[in-house]
Amino acid sequence: MLVTGAVSTKKPMRVPILPERGRLSWFELVLLLVCIGLVVASIPSSLRDVILLSFLFGGLALAWNIAGGYAGLISFGHAAFFGVGGYTSTILLVHYDITPWIGIWFGGTIAGVFGAALALICARLRGPFFILSTLAFAEVVRIGALNWSSLTGGPEGLSIMPTPGLASMVFASKATYAWLMLGYLVVVYAITKALEASRFGYYLFAIRDNEDAASAAGVNPLLGRTLAMALSAALTGVGGSLFAQYFLYLDPTYVISPELSFQFALLPAVGGLGTAIGPVLGSFLITPLSELLRSYFGNSAAGLHLVIYSLGLVVVMLYFPSGLAGALAKLARWRPFS
Amino acid sequence: MSTLGQLVISGILIGGIYALMSIGLTLIFGVLRIVNFAHGEFLMVAMYGAWAITRLLGLNPYVAAVAIVPAMFLFGAIVYRMIINPALDKPHLVVVFATMALSIFMQNVALMMMTADLMDVPPIFGRSITIGPIYIKVELLLGFIITILCTVALQWMIKTTYLGKAIRATVQDGEAAMLMGIPVPRIFLITFAGGSALVGLAACVMMPLFSVFPTVGLNFVLIAFVIVVLGGMGSIEGALLGGICVGVVQSLSSYYVAPAFGQMFFFVLFLFVMIFRPNGLLGQKGAATIGMNE
Repeated sequence: MLVTGAVSTKKPMRVPILPERGRLSWFELVLLLVCIGLVVASIPSSLRDVILLSFLFGGLALAWNIAGGYAGLISFGHAAFFGVGGYTSTILLVHYDITPWIGIWFGGTIAGVFGAALALICARLRGPFFILSTLAFAEVVRIGALNWSSLTGGPEGLSIMPTPGLASMVFASKATYAWLMLGYLVVVYAITKALEASRFGYYLFAIRDNEDAASAAGVNPLLGRTLAMALSAALTGVGGSLFAQYFLYLDPTYVISPELSFQFALLPAVGGLGTAIGPVLGSFLITPLSELLRSYFGNSAAGLHLVIYSLGLVVVMLYFPSGLAGALAKLARWRPFS
Repeated sequence: MSTLGQLVISGILIGGIYALMSIGLTLIFGVLRIVNFAHGEFLMVAMYGAWAITRLLGLNPYVAAVAIVPAMFLFGAIVYRMIINPALDKPHLVVVFATMALSIFMQNVALMMMTADLMDVPPIFGRSITIGPIYIKVELLLGFIITILCTVALQWMIKTTYLGKAIRATVQDGEAAMLMGIPVPRIFLITFAGGSALVGLAACVMMPLFSVFPTVGLNFVLIAFVIVVLGGMGSIEGALLGGICVGVVQSLSSYYVAPAFGQMFFFVLFLFVMIFRPNGLLGQKGAATIGMNE
């Protein structure tokens, strides 16, 4: 996946140490090796939970980042796409006995259609109104899922039979799930990297940074925004399907909750918006933290982890608006011996 | 026929109360050009305050306003100093994420302190007023009257007082206002705190009518945005007009359309307005298409 594009014609081929836009770096390769090491190593099962959730949420944060970071479409409604993806593959499995290996593609596609629809609905909206529309859209999907009981099981939710098997994508060992989630993370990361170096990626940057100029230069902003949202939603939907296969249970009040939408936006914001490595770092930092808080305080303090998240986000936003990836970029420019 | 009349009257009255809740938002947007995503949570906190005063001291929520309004003014000033002001000169995303985080923070602190239970206050007035075949809840009527008084007072303040003129000058051209010796940062502070105080007043008026729970703000903030868009950004009379429209539509739809739709009402209404009338009822330029920091 060494997509170097136009850059390589000017500079000699070299692999940078720290992440750069559109190129693979040693940092990313080493991180990947560490991830593989964590899956292979024999570690306690509770820790493995944390690791595979960090992979899953890393992928979801990257998916959100395609819309929010690259195209400037800040969404607080991505849980809708997550839920649509999860429900689609689960309904296909439970009602029609279609293997999730196929169902996931349907889940991603339908979530993508929802994403495109949202982008078109909000075509004329910018700023706060766009954001609130995404929130309202997700609430409509949530209440719809709650009330359409014949399809979604309503408030009782949907369960997947816990009989392990390759065809049903249900596994007895958490290590298999960890491979699955790491695979998802790597695929979404590769798509993000390819996007960064592609013509379409540059269209998105142009639309995000100056829509009028982009459209004067011949870029179609509406098309760009719609495709970016559809891609982001489709990848989120795939994540939702994987989540369903792991937890084997879906219920609208969790999978389509505003809290989850907030979490999808929070991870890239802390990690660094509009970078590929940022959302991954954000997830690797925050997902273990949140699992730790949850296991430490249990249910005695509902909402505590969100209190800590949101405080952290205020601090990050006010003092380190470029996030962890920004700190890394600063490190890349640091020349102690020159 | 009398059912229809009843629904329309209740809708107008409840719409007035919605307008009161939106005036703070439209004022802050009009002057600072930022959106406070935690607006609904300000309302929630103030409602809990009114609830606590009513329950613990045995006063009624209207009297509680005497304490809640200044408390919310102070709260608004603190939030402005700690979060809004440092974020003003940064990219617009910073304000969005910071106020969004503030709203999540306030929701979850409320959840930890008050649990998710619905809280309400006992009815204040035993009976309704009847005019012909139409019943009017006294709480609604009182809330509507307070809104009208408040709108008139605010208009008077903005048209005639020095502070009002300074606010208008800041809206027209912040830099020129600054050159004319208007302390623009202080105008921002006063507007933000004043908008918060208005939310406090709205909370006291709403407490006898609605239950309060930690996520109550989300529904109301969406109504507030609908009203602000319908009436035109920064327009106080517009907010009243928008509020009444929303109230009547809600009142009619909750009676004539299926109850399952009731839960969805605010969200569908919001999307509907955003799709079809993003420029407001009177077609003001660019209400919803406006950028965040210009």
